[in-house]
Amino acid sequence: MSRDRINKILNRIPTHAIIIFMILVWVVPTFGLLVTSLRPSQAINTSGWWTILSPPRGSAEYTEYCAACHGSGGDALPSANLSDPQLVGQFPRSLQLLAALRRDIDGQPHMGDVPLPEVQAAADIAGYLKQLSGIESQPRFTFSNYIDALVGYRGTTTYQQDCAAGTAPLDIKCDASDLLNPRGMGRAFVNSLIVTIPATILPIMFAAFAGYAFAWLDFKGRFLLFAILVGLQVVPLQMTLVPISRLYAQLGLNGTFLGVWLFHTGFGMPYAIYLMRNFLGSLPRDLFESAYLDGASHWTAFYKLVLPLAMPAIASLGIFQFLWVWNDLLVALVFLGGTTPVMTYQISNMVTSLGAGWHLLTASAFLSMLLPMIVFFGLQRYFVRGMLAGAVKG
Amino acid sequence: MKRPLWQLFTTLVVASVLLAACGGGTPATEAPAQPEAPAVSPTEAPPAAEEPVPDEMCMGANPGDEVSMLYQWSGQEEERLNQILQPLVETCGIVLRPESTRDQALLDTRVQAGTPPDVAFWNVTQLTQYQNNLFAMDELGASADAYIPGAIDPGVINGRWLGLPIKSDIKTIIWYSPVNFEAFSYSVPTTWDELDALVEQMVADGNVPWSMGIESGDATGWTASDFIQDILLVQQGPEYVMGIIDGSIPYDDAGVVQAYQTYGKWATDPAYAVGGAQGTLSTGFLAAIHKPFSDPPEAMMVKQSGFAGGEVQSQYPDLEFGVDYDFFVVPGAQGLQGGSDWMMAFSDKPAVKALVAYLSSPMGGANWAKASFDLSPNKGAAGNYTDPSLIKKAEAFYNTQGFTPDIGDTIPGGFGSAEWKAIVDYLNGADLATALAQAAAVQAEALR
Amino acid sequence: MAGRSVPNIMRQGKLAPWLYLMPALLIMSFFIVYPMINTVSLSFKNRDGTASAATTCVEGNPCWGVFENYRIALTAEFDTRTFSSFWRTFWVSSYGNTIKWIFLMVSGTVGLGLMFAVLADRVKYEALAKAIIFMPMAVSFVGAGIIWKFVYDYGTQQVQIGLLNAIITSLGGQPTAFLTIPQLNTVALIVVGVWIWTGFCMTILSAALKSVPDEILEAARVDGATEWTIFWRIMVPIILPTITVVVTTMVINVLKLFDIVYVMTGGNFGTNVIANRMYTEMYTNFNVGRGTAVAVVLVIAIIPFIYFNIRRFLAQEEMR
Repeated sequence: MSRDRINKILNRIPTHAIIIFMILVWVVPTFGLLVTSLRPSQAINTSGWWTILSPPRGSAEYTEYCAACHGSGGDALPSANLSDPQLVGQFPRSLQLLAALRRDIDGQPHMGDVPLPEVQAAADIAGYLKQLSGIESQPRFTFSNYIDALVGYRGTTTYQQDCAAGTAPLDIKCDASDLLNPRGMGRAFVNSLIVTIPATILPIMFAAFAGYAFAWLDFKGRFLLFAILVGLQVVPLQMTLVPISRLYAQLGLNGTFLGVWLFHTGFGMPYAIYLMRNFLGSLPRDLFESAYLDGASHWTAFYKLVLPLAMPAIASLGIFQFLWVWNDLLVALVFLGGTTPVMTYQISNMVTSLGAGWHLLTASAFLSMLLPMIVFFGLQRYFVRGMLAGAVKG
Repeated sequence: MKRPLWQLFTTLVVASVLLAACGGGTPATEAPAQPEAPAVSPTEAPPAAEEPVPDEMCMGANPGDEVSMLYQWSGQEEERLNQILQPLVETCGIVLRPESTRDQALLDTRVQAGTPPDVAFWNVTQLTQYQNNLFAMDELGASADAYIPGAIDPGVINGRWLGLPIKSDIKTIIWYSPVNFEAFSYSVPTTWDELDALVEQMVADGNVPWSMGIESGDATGWTASDFIQDILLVQQGPEYVMGIIDGSIPYDDAGVVQAYQTYGKWATDPAYAVGGAQGTLSTGFLAAIHKPFSDPPEAMMVKQSGFAGGEVQSQYPDLEFGVDYDFFVVPGAQGLQGGSDWMMAFSDKPAVKALVAYLSSPMGGANWAKASFDLSPNKGAAGNYTDPSLIKKAEAFYNTQGFTPDIGDTIPGGFGSAEWKAIVDYLNGADLATALAQAAAVQAEALR
Repeated sequence: MAGRSVPNIMRQGKLAPWLYLMPALLIMSFFIVYPMINTVSLSFKNRDGTASAATTCVEGNPCWGVFENYRIALTAEFDTRTFSSFWRTFWVSSYGNTIKWIFLMVSGTVGLGLMFAVLADRVKYEALAKAIIFMPMAVSFVGAGIIWKFVYDYGTQQVQIGLLNAIITSLGGQPTAFLTIPQLNTVALIVVGVWIWTGFCMTILSAALKSVPDEILEAARVDGATEWTIFWRIMVPIILPTITVVVTTMVINVLKLFDIVYVMTGGNFGTNVIANRMYTEMYTNFNVGRGTAVAVVLVIAIIPFIYFNIRRFLAQEEMR
C-alpha cells in the first residue's frame, strides 16, 4: 500500500519538476518587466532589475571606507556631518569626492593608512552620500510609471512631480478627472473594447457556420475551396491595406467602427474556419447519426448539438481573435484613425520619435495585458474534459 | 448553459454598437487654453505669454474648420507642437485632428488610397515621393524670404517648393563634459588636427575618447552614417557631399573610402571607442549618449545631434548645461550637416493656408523658438530661444557657412539602408571596397 | 467526393451548404481575395505600379522581363559565383533564415506545447500553469521587445542590465552581444518566438486532448500500458488532425512573422526574414513591385503544406 503510494508520488515528481521548470523559464522575463515597471526611470538604465531588493548601491563601499569614522548614518562626526545636504552638495561626483579625499586633514591623510577607493567605488559612495543626506532620494519602488501611463503624461519628469511642483501642463488638472484625459488610458480602453468585442464575436459566428459546412455537408468543390482557404491565411496584412482603404473611401467606411469590425472579421476568417472545421470534423459521426435518426434537421443539429460540443474550439478561437484585435495597432490606425484612439495607439504615443520615455511602455504593457488575461481565465471553464463522455451510446 | 451564453453575446454586441454610435471617439486634440507653464525641462524659465495672432493670418478659415495632420512626434514632442499652434487655434478657431505614428505604412496607405491627411509633417524624401499630390508652398501663401538662405532648397522638387522646413537639428557637434575635460586638462579643439591629437592624448591617459553606439532597431547605423558624413565635410567639403547626393560622385570614391577608414580606426578599436567594434554595433544610440556623463564616465566624447542634450537631461536631471555637459562643433567642418522635418500640404483649404501662413511668419518662428521644440530655420526664430543649449545651437545654426543635408535622407529609395548595411558590414570586418561597391550600386539605381 | 464521407442519413438540398458558407465566403472575397489579386497584378509592375516590370531591367544584368521583380526577390541576396559562396549567403539570407525559423520554431512550439498540455492535464494547478505559459501571447510585441531587451542587453560597463549577460559575467565570462553576433542572433530571436507562441499551441492541443474519451485511456491503463505508450499510441493518433492544424498554423505564422525581427534587430546582422523583407521593400525602399513580388513568393511557399493538409483530412474522413 505505502509502496504504491510512494511509487505514485515518485512518478509524479518528474511531471511536477518539468512543469515548474517551464513555468519559471516562462515567467522570469515577464517578472523582470513587472519589476522594471515599478522602478523610477533613471534606475532602469543603470542597474539590473534583480538588484531591486539588494542594498542601495554604494552602501557596501560606504561601510568599507567611511563608516568606521563617520558612522553608519554619516553623522558621527559633527564637524563633517555627512547627512548635511550643504556639505554633501559640494561632492556630487567621484571627481570631487576623490579630490577631497586626497586632501590632508590637520596634516594627516584623510583616509589614514587605508588606500583611496577606486573610481567606481568612489562614484558609488558619492551616490550613496546623496541618499544619506536626502539630496536625492530615489525610491526603490514607485507607481509613477503606471500613473503616467494611465493619465497619458507627456512631460519630462513624472506626473506626481509636476503636480507637486505646480508645473503641470494645462490639460492636466492634478485630480481624479485626469483619468479621463483624452491622451490617457480611460477613453482608449473603452474604444479598444468597442473595437474588439464585435470583431471577436462576428468571425466566430461566421466561422462556426462555415466550418460545419466544410466538415459535415457535401457540396461540389469542397476540397478546392478548402485548399484556397488554407492558402489565404498567408496573405500578409500590409497587402490588404491600400485596396481596402480605397474601397472604404468609396463606401464611406473610413474612420468608422463598422469598417474595423468588418476588416478584422474578414481577415480572421480563414484561420477561424480552418480551426472550426478541424474541431467539428473530429466529432464522432455516431453523434450525428443518432440525431438524424431522431428526426433532427441540419439547423437543429447545428444549434443544439454541435455548438455546445464545440465550446473548447470556440473558446480557443475567441481568445486568439480577442488577443489579435486587442493588441493590434496598424489596422486600427489605418481604418479607424488616430482621432478615435485605442489603447495600443495611446501606448505607442507615449514615446517620442527618438524613443525617449520608453520607461512608460513597461507599465503600459501590463495595463494592456490585464484584460486579455482576465478573458483567458474566464474562458478556461470551457476547456473541460469529457464533454463527449457518455454522449455516444456504448 | 446555452441561454445565458446567447444573452451574453447579444448584450455585448448591442452594447458595443450603442457605445460606438453614441460616444465613440475623442474630441479633437485642442491645445490648452493658455500657453503658460509648459511641460518643459526644468532648466528653462517659463516663456513669456505669446501674442495673439492677427486675424488676417486665418486666411479665411472659419471657426470649426478641421485640419487633419499626420506626424511622427508623440509624447513630449506633441505637447510642444500643441503649444506652438495654440495661438493660431485660439484666434481662428480651427480644429486640429492630429494622428501620430512612426509607421511609414500609414502615410503611404492613406496617400495611395486617396485619403491623405490635409497636412503631414514628415521627412524630405516624402516630398519627392508624393510630389504629385502636394500643393506648392508659395501658392499656399508662404514666402521664401522668411527662411535663412539654403534652408528651403531640399524642399524644392522639380522647380516646385513643396515643403516648409520647420524643425531642424544640427548633427555636426560633439558633446562632452567640461568638468571631466577640466579634470584632465583637456581643451576644446579648434582644428581637426587638434581633435586627432586630443584623441591620442586621451588614449595615452587611459581614457576612452569616443562613445559610439549605432544600434537602433531597423535604423541601425544612422549614427555612424552621420559621423562619416561629418568627416566628409571636414576632409572633402560640402560640394563633395552634394556630389554624392546628385550622383556625380559614386559612393565608392576614394574620398569616401578615406572617411570610412578614419571612422573605422576609431570605431573598431576598444582603446578608442567603448567596447570596440562589438560595443559600437550593439550599444543603443541612447545608451551611447549617457556614457560620457555617467559617474565614472565611460568615455570622454560622443558625436551626436542636438537632441542628445535633452536625453542627458532626462537621465541625469541634476546635471547643468554648460557646466556638466556641453558641446562644440566638429572642428574643421566646412558647414554643418543638418536635418529638418518638413511640413507638406495635401490640400489647399483655408485652414491649411492659415497653418502655412502662421508657421512661415516671424511670429510663428518666434513661438517655435520659445517652445523649445528644437531649432527653426524661420528667420523669426533667431533671438527667441530660451533654452541655453538651444541658444548655443542656434548660434552655430545661424552662423554656419552652409548646410548639407543627410545623404541617406535625401537620396530616394533605400539608399539610406544600403549605407547602413555597408557600415555594419565594415564594422563586422568585411572588405571596405566590396561594402562600398554595393552601396554605390544602390546609389546608382536610385538616382537613375 | 461522394456522399460516402458524410452521413448519408442526412438529406440535404443543394442549397443548404451554400447558405452556411455564404457570409464567410463573401466577406473573405472582399477582404482577402480581392487584395490578393491586386497584389499579384502589382508584382508585375514597376516600383510605383505605373509600368510593366520589364522597364526596370538594367543593362548588363540578367533580366526576366515581366518577372523582373521576382528575379530580384528570389536571387538578389545570393552570391552565386561559387557554390560555397552561395551556400554561405543562402543561410544568412531571408530565405535561409526563414527556413531556420520554420524548423526550429515550429518544432519548439508544437513540441513544448504538446508536452505541456499533456503534463498540465495531470496536476491540480493546471489553470495557473497554463495561464503562465499563455501569458506571453497577451503581451503585445512592443512589450515583448522590451521584456527581451532586458534579457539580452549587452552592456559595456561593469554593470549589466541584461539578465543573461549578468549571469554570464557573474560566472566570470565576457558579456555576449546576443543580438549582433550572426547565427546566434537568429537563435536568440527564435527563442523569443517560441516563448510567445508555445501558449498558442498548448491551448489548442489542450482543447483537443480534453476530447479524447476517458474510457479509452482508462482501458489502456488497466491493460498495463505505460504513460509513454499511451501518449504515442493512443493520444497522438487521435489528435493527429489537430496537430496538423497546429503545425500548419505555426508555419503560416512563422512565414508572416516580422514583428519580432523588426522590433529587435530590424533585420540587420543577418537576421532578415521574408516578411521583414517585404515590409522593407514596400515602406523603406518604396518599391511596390518588389514588395508585392516577395508577398507572392510567401504565399507560394505555403502550397506544400496545403497539400499535406488535404491528405490529412482525406485520411480523417476515411476514418469516419
